Amino acid sequence: MAADTSSEHARLIRKLETIAVLSAPEKVALAGLPLRLKSFLENTDLTREGAAPTECCLIIEGLVCRYKVLGAGQRQIMSLHLPGDIPDLQSLHLGVMDHSMGSLTAGRAAYLPHTAVRDLTDRFPNLTAALWRDSLIDAAITREWLCGIGRRTAHQRIAHLICEVFVRSRALHLIEEKTFELSITQAELGDALGLSTVHVNRVLQDLRRDDLVTWRGKSILVLDWERLRIAGDFDPAYLHLLDGAVSLTPRERPPRPVPAD
Amino acid sequence: MVSRLTANLQLYGALSADEQRAVESLVVSTRAAAVGEDLVTEGDAPTHCRVLLEGQAFRHRTLPDGRRQIMSFHIPGDVCDLQGMFLAMDHNVTALTTCEVGLIPHARLNDVMEAFPRVARSFWRTSLVEAAIFREWMVGMGRRTAYTRIAHLFCEMVVRMRAAGLVHQNRCQFPITQQHLSDSLGLSAVHTNRTLQALRGEGLLSFQGGELAILDWAGLKAAGEFDQGYLHLGENVPMRLAGV
Repeated sequence: MAADTSSEHARLIRKLETIAVLSAPEKVALAGLPLRLKSFLENTDLTREGAAPTECCLIIEGLVCRYKVLGAGQRQIMSLHLPGDIPDLQSLHLGVMDHSMGSLTAGRAAYLPHTAVRDLTDRFPNLTAALWRDSLIDAAITREWLCGIGRRTAHQRIAHLICEVFVRSRALHLIEEKTFELSITQAELGDALGLSTVHVNRVLQDLRRDDLVTWRGKSILVLDWERLRIAGDFDPAYLHLLDGAVSLTPRERPPRPVPAD
Repeated sequence: MVSRLTANLQLYGALSADEQRAVESLVVSTRAAAVGEDLVTEGDAPTHCRVLLEGQAFRHRTLPDGRRQIMSFHIPGDVCDLQGMFLAMDHNVTALTTCEVGLIPHARLNDVMEAFPRVARSFWRTSLVEAAIFREWMVGMGRRTAYTRIAHLFCEMVVRMRAAGLVHQNRCQFPITQQHLSDSLGLSAVHTNRTLQALRGEGLLSFQGGELAILDWAGLKAAGEFDQGYLHLGENVPMRLAGV
């Protein structure tokens, strides 16, 4: 990477390199994106349902979620976002937010003007493809969570979520070993997985007792990756990471050729 | 008259005459699919996109233990596997009815999108709206009651079909079984059946022989706590149904 690439731009470039191959000129163009830095506190809304943003929000530090609150006040957390993610990429092409985005921890975001991102995608079709790929992977993650809530047990859902955050953190180079931060309360986990706090607590105790994971404060240490994967029925294929983006995951299954139509 | 594909893309913004012509040139051949036939399956790396010209399909996955989760329904004008342009398929799309499917070679779609960046944005938007629909289903399964979920799904389908010109006098074809409904909404067959009876009993809808008729649109929307914002139809599609 060019020596004058800021650490904020480097986050974005790393993220895109987990899912797409970027050329040197494309990386230079990404590193030239104007950005406005802003810190946020924990449990703060970064954007709200109904808003019409003119910038995309790139997460630099901290844990962010997208959520929706129903009339009765119940919250559904719909995704978790790590440094390098652009959780509101959709605002580039869909004018009005259909959900809210809030922080689970304190952190920092870099705001990218839509005009600058659109200009970049018009000039570099491969960057359009990379960002589009990111929105499709975001949809794949949503479908995976949908399957989980619809069809998986509480044990599988929680183990699956831990596996997902672990693999994504590794791919983004946020962690090197098997310890990672998941600064999320049991109530928030319940809101993400459609479970009660009591249920979440019981399952977490089980996972610890079975020596799959342990945690100190908000740091989770994965003790037995293979068994955790099995417990979570976790297959990372839906993350569509490029080969080599993360060493823990097996290679994405080679695509099966489709007979000519 | 523009094709269903062009009409679908224009739900999110008008295309110029040149852009419309480019979109109209995309489908190189068509083929028929029988009920229950897989249009695309998990693990495929397709070389074409499939656009539904006639008929309906659904997106689903079956977990290793055999439990199926349906993740969306598709109507004429929808591209079933746009994801295949960029990613391997991680789920199946299966014909719900007999379908006429238009085939779009990826290379041709790529050329058109490079020549017409606004067409690329229109297709990208359809991916984003699809993602918004998945999220809304997640909210339903995580937080809504069986009654609200079923009403919400019917509202969604009616609004989408209305936008595609497929609703006539508050009636549309939506030939799903109660099994499809259960597998979509994470409900047991018994629960689905009982809840459907309740919605019928309240005079909100009739659902018979594959035809959905909306009898009380305001009532059904209230039952489903339905707000169509996530479909991002904006002001393009007035969502008034007859008699409401």
